[in-house]
Amino acid sequence: MKRAAVYAAVAALLVVPAFLPFDYYVNIASQILIAGIFAGSLNLLVGYGGLISLGHAGYLGASAYVLAWLSTRAGFSHLWASLGAVTLTTLMAAVFGVLSLRATGLGFVMITLALAQILWGVAYRWVSLTGGDNGLSGFGRPQPFGIDLSSATAFYLFVLVFFAISFLFVSVFVRSTFGAGLQGTRDQPRRMQALGWDVWSTRFVTFVVSGFWAAVAGVLYADYNQFVSPHVLALTNSAEVLLMVIAGGAGTLLGPIVGAAVVVLLKNVVSAYVTRWVLLLGLVFVAIVLYMPEGLVPGIERLRRRTVRTGTRA
Amino acid sequence: MTAAALELKGLFKSFGGVPAVRDVTLSVLEGERRLLLGPNGAGKTTLFNLVTGDLASDSGTIRVFGRDVSRLRADRRVHLGLSRTYQVITLFPKNTLAHNIVLALLGLSRSRFNPFSLLARRGDLWERARGALDRVGLGKLADRSVAQTSYGEQRRLELAIALAQEPRVLLLDEPLAGLSREERRDVQDLLTTIPREVTVVMIEHDLDVALSFAEKITVLHYGQVIVEGTRAQVVADPRVQEVYLGA
Amino acid sequence: MPDFASPRSRRLILAALVSAALAVPILKATRASAADKGPIRIGFLTVKTGALAAGGRQMEEGLALYLDQHQGQLAGRKIEVVTLDTAGQPATTKTRTQEAVERYQVHAIIGPLAAFEALAINDYVKQAKVPVISPSAAAEDLTQRNLNPWFVRAVTTSAQMNHPLGEYAAKVLKYKRIATIGDDFAFGHETTAGFQRTFEENGGKIVQKLWSPLNVADYGSYVGDLKTDVDAVYASFAGANGLRFLRQYAEYGLKGKVPVLGNMTTVDEGILKNMGDEAVGVVSSGWYSAAIDNPENHKFVEAYRKKYDADPGYYSAGAYTAAFFLDLALQKIKGNIEDKDAFMKALRSLDIKDSFRGPMHIDKYGNPDLTIYIRKVERKNGRLVNAVVQTYPNVSQFWKMSPQDFLKSPVYSRSFPEAKNLEK
Repeated sequence: MKRAAVYAAVAALLVVPAFLPFDYYVNIASQILIAGIFAGSLNLLVGYGGLISLGHAGYLGASAYVLAWLSTRAGFSHLWASLGAVTLTTLMAAVFGVLSLRATGLGFVMITLALAQILWGVAYRWVSLTGGDNGLSGFGRPQPFGIDLSSATAFYLFVLVFFAISFLFVSVFVRSTFGAGLQGTRDQPRRMQALGWDVWSTRFVTFVVSGFWAAVAGVLYADYNQFVSPHVLALTNSAEVLLMVIAGGAGTLLGPIVGAAVVVLLKNVVSAYVTRWVLLLGLVFVAIVLYMPEGLVPGIERLRRRTVRTGTRA
Repeated sequence: MTAAALELKGLFKSFGGVPAVRDVTLSVLEGERRLLLGPNGAGKTTLFNLVTGDLASDSGTIRVFGRDVSRLRADRRVHLGLSRTYQVITLFPKNTLAHNIVLALLGLSRSRFNPFSLLARRGDLWERARGALDRVGLGKLADRSVAQTSYGEQRRLELAIALAQEPRVLLLDEPLAGLSREERRDVQDLLTTIPREVTVVMIEHDLDVALSFAEKITVLHYGQVIVEGTRAQVVADPRVQEVYLGA
Repeated sequence: MPDFASPRSRRLILAALVSAALAVPILKATRASAADKGPIRIGFLTVKTGALAAGGRQMEEGLALYLDQHQGQLAGRKIEVVTLDTAGQPATTKTRTQEAVERYQVHAIIGPLAAFEALAINDYVKQAKVPVISPSAAAEDLTQRNLNPWFVRAVTTSAQMNHPLGEYAAKVLKYKRIATIGDDFAFGHETTAGFQRTFEENGGKIVQKLWSPLNVADYGSYVGDLKTDVDAVYASFAGANGLRFLRQYAEYGLKGKVPVLGNMTTVDEGILKNMGDEAVGVVSSGWYSAAIDNPENHKFVEAYRKKYDADPGYYSAGAYTAAFFLDLALQKIKGNIEDKDAFMKALRSLDIKDSFRGPMHIDKYGNPDLTIYIRKVERKNGRLVNAVVQTYPNVSQFWKMSPQDFLKSPVYSRSFPEAKNLEK
């Protein structure tokens, strides 16, 4: 039954482009997948590690910048620039992890925020390196095995591959022996220590893994937009991805993806019909917080269980 | 002469200038059952926290089987065979009882670093967890979440977790606190099943239970050791009469 | 419920998936039917939410006015405008552009507002081959080092409108030493750089350069830091920042002591109506002023005032010009915008002998050579206007240099041209 659901989901995702009326919607679907990878990476920290980061755009943005810089200024091929971007960003996540994990709780939030703001400042100010607020552009999309990714559908399928790998990785990661320990450090860090777990290292590894997947999302983000500017590193982006995780359901596998879909759709599709879409976005989040504080996925699951129960009783 | 399993020397700890543990020197032999007595605020739990590494001491040394662990992280000390239970129940309430035990087993296994080994497929761990729960009579509740169990069951789970770690030195912080008469008897029976070679240090206010369990007693008062000796010696000591049994 | 886990059904599903994936491009191809010869669809990228919304609204007004004046028809075809809100975010701008192109299948785009938005869609526009007429974005490189054959600018580059002011300050006003202050973003950097270059080329010295963050709450400390022993202060602000700066400049008692020069948007008509005496006397340069004295402009300003009870400024005149460019190019090709190459060719070879902004000629980089106006804020009939005090005809984005020489230098920025005359 569960396997059937997985097959059905994969099938649905593969044929999505065929049923969307315009390339535009295929591109929206690609954006949702990229945001889904990004939110999924943050979910490891927030949902499973209990560590709220308000600087996650830093990894997405850094990776996008490194890719752009390596391919436009240093003459790297797209593949090597992408690998370089993910590697350097993951290393950066290791350094930032050491700095951020000196604290927990609010302290952690503030350090992650501050580090991301530093990156934003560098992108904005170090004009000779980053192009300032004019950003970097002029790198195309990759051409893996000579396949042209300029079409919306081809790019969607390209992103889908990474999305599937990341989803599979995250599913295994959080259900693994390590993942069980991570969730233990979220719920009872002191007790975990008394059980022989190295709480700090567990968090640190998760921090780096989270940074790695955010970097992958960053590469795809750059490939998609073919442009990076300091906006990608802005606090609003970090807050937005955190909202995706929380609105969809932190600590659930599907939550961040649903959250990503909600945010991307509200931002891009609904806004075509509603001028005050920012207000609408706010209202939707307030509604979620009020009626489904645990997030959409667990919230709907709860409602479903309730109706099933009353259904069988009747 | 048997080696000391736990040896504390000149241990100090104060909180914001208020001393909680003052110059505690203490030696517990391997396989010994030691009782820590003292009124509330005497520094017993703080002393435990210093030994486990939950708190760092201001000065003094802590040796476990001769090895100085004073500067060792708490989780490393666990790997040397040091386990504890908590006075205030500290479990994973959303998880099942079996899961709680599995976390303890994993903590001492290399698998804890493995992000690709699916927990659900680790039959070995779940079997051992069931065994550990059976030992404390909680086998039937293995798949129930902690939040759905009674206080007494949770106390027993605390003990089961500590036992599952197969410790060489076990620190029990009021394992009987808050239990009914019957539950106490259950736990008391459990305590007698602890293997003989395990060194046990226990904080307990229920003197009947505690005194029947322990061979040697250390009495703390205002963070200091005031008396140490056998049951008879301690009970007869006038200082103990005064500070603890006095009233 | 079929058993999805059995090997046979698994194989079936796999086959279904593969064929579905293969079918996608085919379905796509059949769906993309040729556009019928209905109205001309224009994607209008503006900003309706966020800090840039005021400029976005003025753009909308400028465009609407032009279309109104032509009964919604250009070159005999109805114009359908799809208005999209970019929220002032590069990534959103990209998505909106895709929406315009892929969903509404627009024939051309007017917009976006900000330079970084225009840069964000530059590569995409090239690939999608959509004509873009920029009503506002002034980023130098869009028509210099990052060329796009599908792009035409209806305004000027940032520096293009400031080169004349630098010369004017040195030669006519005889200023020797000037301090600059401006918004700390590309537009501020580029405008100031253009001013600095020509001012120093003509013997002037920039002795101090200050940058304030775009969203700074208070200009007090910056005004306090400004040198007062200079001949003038050059201020380069966008949005409402010019208004706030000049107000505090006056409050600190500097008005009347040290004259203020400004870029076009520091005293733009869009905010001039909210200013008072603090703005009077500010000399600025730009590609437009509501006070330009020619019949076409009188007509435009009058119509704009009638409709919106305000003077047109940077954003409204920019969008109006963009519509004007669209109109002229369409006329040249008899409305057949479906022939994109012909349309682009017409657009990029516009040679306007006269207009409300004077003559304009699109250079081969897609940027107009045109008249730059030196303006001075004066009070006329109770309202503040940018009275034209001098005109510089036929100003190119490369100023007096050859394109080759100009493009040898790096793009204007905070650090180029180097400020060699700063004083401690």
